[in-house]
Amino acid sequence: MITKIDSEKCIGCGICARTCPLDTIRVNENGKAFIAYPEDCMTCYLCEMNCPNGAIYVHPFKELLPRSLPNCY
Amino acid sequence: MKEHIYETDLLIVGSGSAGLWAAYSAKQKNKDINVMIVDKGPENWGGLMACAGGDLDIVMPGEDIQDWVKDWVYYYDGLCDQELMETLFKDTYEILEQYQKWGCEYLTDENGRMDTVGVPQRGLEHIKLYVTKVKGSGGLRMAKALAKAIKEAGVESLGRTMLTDLLKDETGRVIGAIGFNTIDGSFVQIKAKAVLIATGMGGWKSSYMKNPSTGEGIAMAFRAGAEIRNMEFARVWNVPKLFGWEGQTTLLPLGARFVNARGENFMERYSKTLGSNTDPHYSTIGMALEMRAGRGPCYMDTSALKPEDAAVVKPKLGWQYINYNRLKDDCGIDFFEQKTEWMPQPLMSYGGLVADLKGATRVPGLYAAGRCRSIDPGVYTGGFALASTATSGKIAGESMVDYVQELPLVELNQAEVEQLKGKLYAPLNGTGVPAKEVLRCIQNIVYPYEVSIIKSDGALQNALHKMETLKAELLPQMGAPDAHYLMKLKEVEAIAFITEWYIKASLMRTESRCGHYREDYPDHDDNWLKWIVIGLEDGVAEAHTVDVPIETYKHPIERYYQDNFKFE
Repeated sequence: MITKIDSEKCIGCGICARTCPLDTIRVNENGKAFIAYPEDCMTCYLCEMNCPNGAIYVHPFKELLPRSLPNCY
Repeated sequence: MKEHIYETDLLIVGSGSAGLWAAYSAKQKNKDINVMIVDKGPENWGGLMACAGGDLDIVMPGEDIQDWVKDWVYYYDGLCDQELMETLFKDTYEILEQYQKWGCEYLTDENGRMDTVGVPQRGLEHIKLYVTKVKGSGGLRMAKALAKAIKEAGVESLGRTMLTDLLKDETGRVIGAIGFNTIDGSFVQIKAKAVLIATGMGGWKSSYMKNPSTGEGIAMAFRAGAEIRNMEFARVWNVPKLFGWEGQTTLLPLGARFVNARGENFMERYSKTLGSNTDPHYSTIGMALEMRAGRGPCYMDTSALKPEDAAVVKPKLGWQYINYNRLKDDCGIDFFEQKTEWMPQPLMSYGGLVADLKGATRVPGLYAAGRCRSIDPGVYTGGFALASTATSGKIAGESMVDYVQELPLVELNQAEVEQLKGKLYAPLNGTGVPAKEVLRCIQNIVYPYEVSIIKSDGALQNALHKMETLKAELLPQMGAPDAHYLMKLKEVEAIAFITEWYIKASLMRTESRCGHYREDYPDHDDNWLKWIVIGLEDGVAEAHTVDVPIETYKHPIERYYQDNFKFE
């Protein structure tokens, strides 16, 4: 799940916001990308791969969902 | 509220593999035809293809498609649309050739031959997948190639636009659609001579990268009169507990296996003939039984992979590469050096639209392609989706060009448009129950193993009761503070529709076959060699059965894949 967009490194190109399949990222009035809808991230890494300046960090762990069996997690 | 009005000859909903192939093929057939492709996500992003490994099931030159169809008859326990499978797979080699022309590369032997390196699937004799040359970003490369090709062909693309309702003329022909921009909320009307639904399956927003497919295309077509089938089958796979991983369909044939807490390769207990190298849905039943018996947690064990095979499946590019390294470097998990904990998780429904060999539904002007048209009954070979979405998209795109030839564009009835618009925006009031909360309730209903994996009458009845209560009480109370959440709300409405029919059809099929396993009816029943088909009759949703016309097909049913398993 996306956990960080470094605003120091963000150059405001907006590529991450344009390419996020789930519309998780938006660009604020200062021209910086921010995580607008974190709960929608599906950990596809597209934003991180597309960022030209290495400003985005996606953590590999995903959202825990209801379990199918009692000892699922 | 801003409004946008568009018109086109062919309207394609969904820019995944099927939609992009349909757009490309329509333009190849007639460059003068106007094609518009719409997606609720980014313009032409490729849908789930963009996250896929890129493996393809290809019938190679010299192979006989009938051998593949025979494999499917066996693998699908007879519930196989034989003519459709033949139609969809006979030209898969052309798809491969086109991808190669676009610069996509696939694994070959030292002599540059591909046909010697196919990975046999699920213990079947003929069906094989072919893997991308560099593991990690194959699907994304294919998506980008297609997106570039349709742009060059002059296809008009519209991203961040969710279409919610189809419109018909007085003869019952589909003539367009309405929807909204998911960023600014503006209203969208599109006039079209024919519409293709290519929106993928309906899923439960699992944590394994399947979130965009939520079934609203299927639900929208159903409301317009199209039928759906195979709703009782769901994709329930074993997935890593904590992270995403693409590629078990290659890992298992190459020697990786699931083991229980005692380190036992438990699938050898449930299948003496196939062991670990089987369909994921059967592994899931096995894993659920292990966990229920207290032999969990279960793990993926890659230690038996040969070094040369591990080298092929180790991600080298794309998201899979970042994922693999980050797990290793930041989380202390080395996928190929240690066992990782896995668990069963319902991902999506296999149910979808009924269409003919050309992709036409029973509603004039309405077509279906890709994963939203139901092909398979709940078992799955790796590489199946990227191949069948490409061919079904191609066939539908070409058929639609023929269909619209002499047709006029028809004005949308604005009174009807206004009514639909009012209904669409009604939840956009900032109050109401958040869609995510309702989604969680649906997941709580469908995720328990006795509803999704080892089904039984009591558990399904209980789930149906909860679902009907949710539909009556909670669904109408949903609200959205902005256009983004309105999209999520419409997704959850579709997920509720899919879930209701998943449970109802699961109750109806009182036998076990393919991906549908009933603990109270553990064997197949010859009386159930039929599809459950659901459609609106006089405005009321009704389910009926359609016999598999086995006597008119080329291949009789001689054996059952499910007979390889004994779940007790």
